[in-house]
Amino acid sequence: MTLRRRLLGVVLASITLLLMATGVPAATIPVSVLMPASFADASAPLVREFNASHPHIRLEVTRGPLDTESVSDLAISSLLLGSSPYDLLLMDVTWTPKYVAAGWLEPLEGWLGDDAMAPLAPGADLGNAFSGHLWRFPMVASMGLLYWRTDLMAAPPRTPMELAQISRELQSSGAVRWGYVWQGRQYEGLSTVFLEMLRGFGGRWIVDGSPTLDSKEAVAATRWLEGLIRQGISPPSVVTMAEPQSLQVFAAGQSAFMRNWPYAWNELNRAGSALAGKVGITTMVAEPGQPHVATQGSWGLALTKGSQHKRAAIEALQFLTSEESQTRLYEDFGYTPTRQAVFRDPKLVSAHPELPELEAALADAVLRPLTPVYAQISDLLYRELSRVFTARVSPQQGMEQLQEQTLQLRRTVGGEI
Amino acid sequence: MAPALLLLLAVFALPMLQYAWLSTQAQTVLTELEPQPVGLAQWQRLLQDGRFWQDAFQTLRFGLCSVGLELVLGLAVALLLNQPLRGRTLLRTVSLLPWALPTTVMALGWRWIFNDPFGPINLLLAQVGLPTVSFLGDPAITWLSMVWADTWKTTPFVALLLLAGLQTIPADLYEAAALEGANRWQSLRRITLPLLSPYILIAVLFRLAQALGVFDLVQVLTAGGPAGSTESLALYAYINAMRFLDFGYSATLMLAAFLLMLLLSGGAVLLWLVSRPRWAGGQR
Repeated sequence: MTLRRRLLGVVLASITLLLMATGVPAATIPVSVLMPASFADASAPLVREFNASHPHIRLEVTRGPLDTESVSDLAISSLLLGSSPYDLLLMDVTWTPKYVAAGWLEPLEGWLGDDAMAPLAPGADLGNAFSGHLWRFPMVASMGLLYWRTDLMAAPPRTPMELAQISRELQSSGAVRWGYVWQGRQYEGLSTVFLEMLRGFGGRWIVDGSPTLDSKEAVAATRWLEGLIRQGISPPSVVTMAEPQSLQVFAAGQSAFMRNWPYAWNELNRAGSALAGKVGITTMVAEPGQPHVATQGSWGLALTKGSQHKRAAIEALQFLTSEESQTRLYEDFGYTPTRQAVFRDPKLVSAHPELPELEAALADAVLRPLTPVYAQISDLLYRELSRVFTARVSPQQGMEQLQEQTLQLRRTVGGEI
Repeated sequence: MAPALLLLLAVFALPMLQYAWLSTQAQTVLTELEPQPVGLAQWQRLLQDGRFWQDAFQTLRFGLCSVGLELVLGLAVALLLNQPLRGRTLLRTVSLLPWALPTTVMALGWRWIFNDPFGPINLLLAQVGLPTVSFLGDPAITWLSMVWADTWKTTPFVALLLLAGLQTIPADLYEAAALEGANRWQSLRRITLPLLSPYILIAVLFRLAQALGVFDLVQVLTAGGPAGSTESLALYAYINAMRFLDFGYSATLMLAAFLLMLLLSGGAVLLWLVSRPRWAGGQR
């Protein structure tokens, strides 16, 4: 018995010595990142790879909710506690100013260098810096696209009038039930849809810290969207649609056009899809002489101020946003890259002819207003638009009231927004 | 007694006091989340906030309609389940199922059922050649869809409470009434309802408290839309706190909602107290 015990002691001691000699670290550094469910799933293989090649770090992804705003709610609940359990947050572009104003984020330029944004494609570089610092490094680009049926028309419409005209022709010939589906539900998605139309009609949301939502351009954009529903080009139910519901109608072949994000491309072209190979993408329609814009909706990694493992977290950030990682996220899951080099990879371009289209749309990207009170002004916007679409408020009246409400908000926050 | 009081103090009174204090502060991103005293400015803002009044009205409308509907249906179900039926135990269990579902799951289910045009109701309507109904896209209809979803889920709860009450009523009361020549309607009005009234009161109080604080159902089913027509006070307070990071105003909203609930619950209790002597007296 004693002999056995002594033997066991010897064995244990030699294992310990062996471990110390070979330099296996006593403890790994935990790095925790919060991502929306879809990104968490898509980056799981990358995370495994990172952990295998970085034995001193243990990267762990918390799979947040699917819905964008719910992810923010979760992040904020944790940040309010003072010490967040997350070192990195995968953030939507609109959250940055609010999180910065709340003092939750750590500037990145000190870690990544002042030229960190240089390798980014035009459009992907927007929305990462605020008040003179870099807060977010974009991992996945996203922008609003106009999806059109290549089997039903030779070229996509470029003006609102063309879109309506092609829709009506295809509807009366019976080729499709509806002309155009988009996101009309009372939520953030409606603001992104509206911004594209607003710019396409030559209007602006905020100019020099002040709203210009009662301009004739803004009223015209609102009237056009409202008219789509009234004239039956868009289904009445478009006012209840978020992205998945519009995709459902379009994927069923019931609509000639759809406004959606790049993720829909993969869904529409996957094996078994009725529309595989019959869909084109382009930027949103605009009045002659006005820009065709795409609302930017990129996702980027940010470092929390309370993180205890900033150096390790930055290593993970660099790995997850590298060219290799972005290439794989694009090839395997259709997530649009943010680095110019990935867009220009000839092998990737020949396998994915839509990649240059995505790059062009990204170059036309516009940001939603960068302000800590963005959530408030957007909430006012989509609420009022929903009133115009469903509560018989005229576009003119609705936009005037929206302008007044936004000015009111501007007064309560003391000046600019 | 003392531990119970202490517990109440810790989980109820203290947070309320904290809220009352917070409602006199401005705590937003603009103050870098540091509370700054502003006196009664938040309350003033509340009184002038049209959205608060709209949401208060919508919350009340939702609460009163759904609780009213649940009481009527719940009583009917309870009376039915109190009859000596075959398989009564099974029926009682099955009828509880909607209540056992988490609200979020239930709300997702209804969002799908109400979907236009792919939901089952609208598919059916289209098949028989009727126009589809925009259950979630018309301010005049959507709040009713929400009342219905809530009624579907919580009627079993009311029925369960009332069934417990029904079982405390001695059967000989009904037999005596029948001997005196009372019909079913008379015994329901003169025996069942008066004796059940404490249980009805409890059901009303429980349900009102829940319905006036409705959040999850709205958040999942409509997110407050269309045109803000289904936004509840709780959702507005939540949006202020979690989306706008405006904690002072959110606390003010929550307190206002609480006062509203107190007022209504007090009203319900008062109504019961006033009506009791009339029922109990038996003299006409």
